[in-house]
Amino acid sequence: MRDVLVTDSQVTEGDIMLARRGAAAPAGREADAHVLRATGVGKSIDEAVLLLPTDVELGIAECVVLRGPNGSGKTTLLRILAGTVPPSEGEATLDGSLIDERHDLTRTAIAALIGAPATYRDLTLADHLVLISSTWSHVSGPAAARPDEILELLEIDHLAERFPHELSSGQQQLFHLAMVLVRPSSILILDEPEQRLDTDKRDLLTRILLDRKADGSSLLIACHDPTMTDALADTIVDIQPA
Amino acid sequence: MSRTDKAQLRQVRAAILGNRPDTSLSSTLYPVYVAVIAAGTYGVPAAQQLFRSINEKWLAEHARTPAGAMAAVTLAAVVLALVRLVGRVHGPVVPPLPYLELVVASPMPRKVTLARYWRVSRGGSTVGGLLVGLVIGAGGAIANAAPPVVLLPLALGGALFGLLVAELWLRGQLQGQPQASSLGFGRGSRPRQRRRNALALLGIAGLRRQAASNVTMGGAVLAGDLRTVRLDAARPTTHARRVRLRASGPRAVIAHRDLLGLRRAPWSALYGLGFAAAGSAGLMLSLMSARIPTVAPLVSLVLCHLGFGAWCEGLRLHADNSGTSRLLGLPYRDTALAHLVVPVSCWALTTLVVGAGLSLAGLVEPAELVWALGAGALLAGTHLMAAFRGLPPIGVFGPHAGLPAMIFWYAKPLLATLVVGTGTAAWAARAANPWTAFFWLLIAAAGVVTWGLALVDKRDRRS
Repeated sequence: MRDVLVTDSQVTEGDIMLARRGAAAPAGREADAHVLRATGVGKSIDEAVLLLPTDVELGIAECVVLRGPNGSGKTTLLRILAGTVPPSEGEATLDGSLIDERHDLTRTAIAALIGAPATYRDLTLADHLVLISSTWSHVSGPAAARPDEILELLEIDHLAERFPHELSSGQQQLFHLAMVLVRPSSILILDEPEQRLDTDKRDLLTRILLDRKADGSSLLIACHDPTMTDALADTIVDIQPA
Repeated sequence: MSRTDKAQLRQVRAAILGNRPDTSLSSTLYPVYVAVIAAGTYGVPAAQQLFRSINEKWLAEHARTPAGAMAAVTLAAVVLALVRLVGRVHGPVVPPLPYLELVVASPMPRKVTLARYWRVSRGGSTVGGLLVGLVIGAGGAIANAAPPVVLLPLALGGALFGLLVAELWLRGQLQGQPQASSLGFGRGSRPRQRRRNALALLGIAGLRRQAASNVTMGGAVLAGDLRTVRLDAARPTTHARRVRLRASGPRAVIAHRDLLGLRRAPWSALYGLGFAAAGSAGLMLSLMSARIPTVAPLVSLVLCHLGFGAWCEGLRLHADNSGTSRLLGLPYRDTALAHLVVPVSCWALTTLVVGAGLSLAGLVEPAELVWALGAGALLAGTHLMAAFRGLPPIGVFGPHAGLPAMIFWYAKPLLATLVVGTGTAAWAARAANPWTAFFWLLIAAAGVVTWGLALVDKRDRRS
């Protein structure tokens, strides 16, 4: 069973009931697991309303998919929940603490792909993954093998020695996903990860994300692909445009 | 150019102009007029003051020696090499995009459609060289550093040098084209053939790229965004792709990243080495005697700043990435500090080797070597400032500020190097106990590093 939540300015915090298709967290992951919650979160700049007040809760090993037309505020909500943008109203919390990307707890728990991440023009794909993986080695242990595994998983291991400017747009998207997947995290926040991917690669990505969920990771995804949404979502939140 | 070509080009120009008057001649001559006035009003007095501040007698003595001639030739060679490099990014023949798409891409001969742009650049370069020669000659004559008779040969030499600059600028543009080698215009082709075919062999893809870059860079310069200029001017890396970054600890991997970056940009590493070696040698030598003009440590510190900066690309790329999703597991400030490990190590190593060589030759003493090593802390701080300064504040664009305010804002890191470094170096060269000056150099360097870290934290808060 999956619940579809509709949020807009008319819906109050108390009106939203969350019931999820219930995958329990795999044993042994509780210590790393986190609960992400947005309560009445909205964003406006001067008189421009980017996101109407919205409630979202992401439990352990769950997947919440955000749907909505362009400009409804999905990306803004993801940014708020990734701790890179503060909300104008409401509260976004991780295990009860306010989310801020600069705090260690937030950064350790959440890996986000919202827009193109920064890349170094003088590093190859493999180098990028080694760099990211090594800077997390204090959390996840030695980083030597993981980059190659991730490249293989996304079927771009043949591109390991290319520089980012030598990739097609679809390959760029897979590379960006690899950069997010290579670092340890318990919550994955992805903004339209299916962008620019062909059907096979979308299926591959769906399988990878399902595996992540089965391993205890929580997923918060903005997605326009109904097949992926059907396969992944425990809860669907429809965001209404402002 | 045949008569038919000329007639066709006239028709094209008439179509472009429509009913508007043709102001191309006046708009070409106006910058020359402004340059002549600026050279006379500001250039000559500035040159005269520069020669006097260097010490005109010392300059007059050394200008006629073989070492002086060698310095002039080296400077000219460096300028020519730089001009050629500039041509690869922005050549002398860059028409606006609409003209490029509608006229240059047409079947008309390219040496016809591009001739006007080449003539303007070549003429501008020649007049520029002539004016520089006149300014140097007049400034030197007024300051009594050279007799007035040098004015004519310097003006003529300057004009010829300007012509040579234009030719090499065009060579650089041709070599920077994507299809240069396939057209037989690479390094193997003969000079005469290259000269004759130069304009005809400019490809539309290369011209389009430079014209588009011109628009981007023009906008970035107007907005004071030098970061965009730097990234747009940089050539994509393709070297040493098989060399892999080694997995290591969180901080060590940042240093390994920077080393790999330098390996993949060997020219940056090399010119950093050259500038840093020359700069540190000059700095150490200038500390040896109070008789050495203050301009010696000043010029040396400019070289040190440029050399150290060439090794700081990792630091700059880290600053460029602020505002995007962060994927690294290190805090922002710690990453910035880790990016200083390679440039500081390179500086220390270069200074130790140069200092040891000069010491063995009996030209400097260990105290000067320690002094130059201490200058590394100052350079680290000013490059933190430079990398994380961000965009200029709105006030710089205000009606009462203008270009000088923007230049000052951008030059603050270099000015910090020059003011602190030159001041303490001049003090050390003249004081009985140079260690007092060294102590204050370290205090000032700590202040500059703190300033740089404050800018890092500011970017961290904003991103």
